[in-house]
Amino acid sequence: MLLHILNRSPATSEVYRQALAAMGPEDRLLLIEDGVQGAMSTLVGHFAEVTGRLYALRDDLEARGLIAHCDTTVAVTDMAGFVTLTEDADRTLSWF
Amino acid sequence: MRYGILLMGAPYSSQASHSALRFAKAVVARGHALEGVFFYHDGVQNAARLAAPPQDEPHLVDAWAELAAEHGVPLQVCIAAALRRGLLDEREAARHGKQGHSVEAPFELTGLGQLVDLGLRCDRLITFAP
Repeated sequence: MLLHILNRSPATSEVYRQALAAMGPEDRLLLIEDGVQGAMSTLVGHFAEVTGRLYALRDDLEARGLIAHCDTTVAVTDMAGFVTLTEDADRTLSWF
Repeated sequence: MRYGILLMGAPYSSQASHSALRFAKAVVARGHALEGVFFYHDGVQNAARLAAPPQDEPHLVDAWAELAAEHGVPLQVCIAAALRRGLLDEREAARHGKQGHSVEAPFELTGLGQLVDLGLRCDRLITFAP
């Protein structure tokens, strides 16, 4: 199982498509930095195929005032949780 | 576990350096060994010893140096990426006939082979890019 890390918003970058195309059936996707915009209910549809395997970094959601707009299907995690996700994965892959 | 970080973003240009630093601290707090941070591409700007940001803003260069001092984390800077951006330690400055130097310990200028070594030695290598 790989952890994919995405720091681009699906509203401004197409790289999320490459990330999704590269993901295996068990892989997880963590949204960080501007990527957390993808966790908003209005944009989370872009990640429908990885529902249940989609995470977003709390620090970056809060920094952007988006925590209240985060979709309920997204698992919100803090920095310690980010580390745990990397522990659980065999490797990580950053998309930017 | 053994962790390594690859940082390719310049400080204050993107969030990459902030993210990498916060992740580094979380890795150490979890009890893992952070074997090194490799600064590559524009990430070498994190080693600029003359950086003087406003006092009410995070000083990222100092923050990396503090991480090295407190936890013994090697801070390795790609020498080829650094030289072409004007980031030279005393030795390289002398070699190239430049007055003054812009990189000092705990940052060290190293080759790309060190990144390969970091990737091979660590259980996890996490990339933070702009």
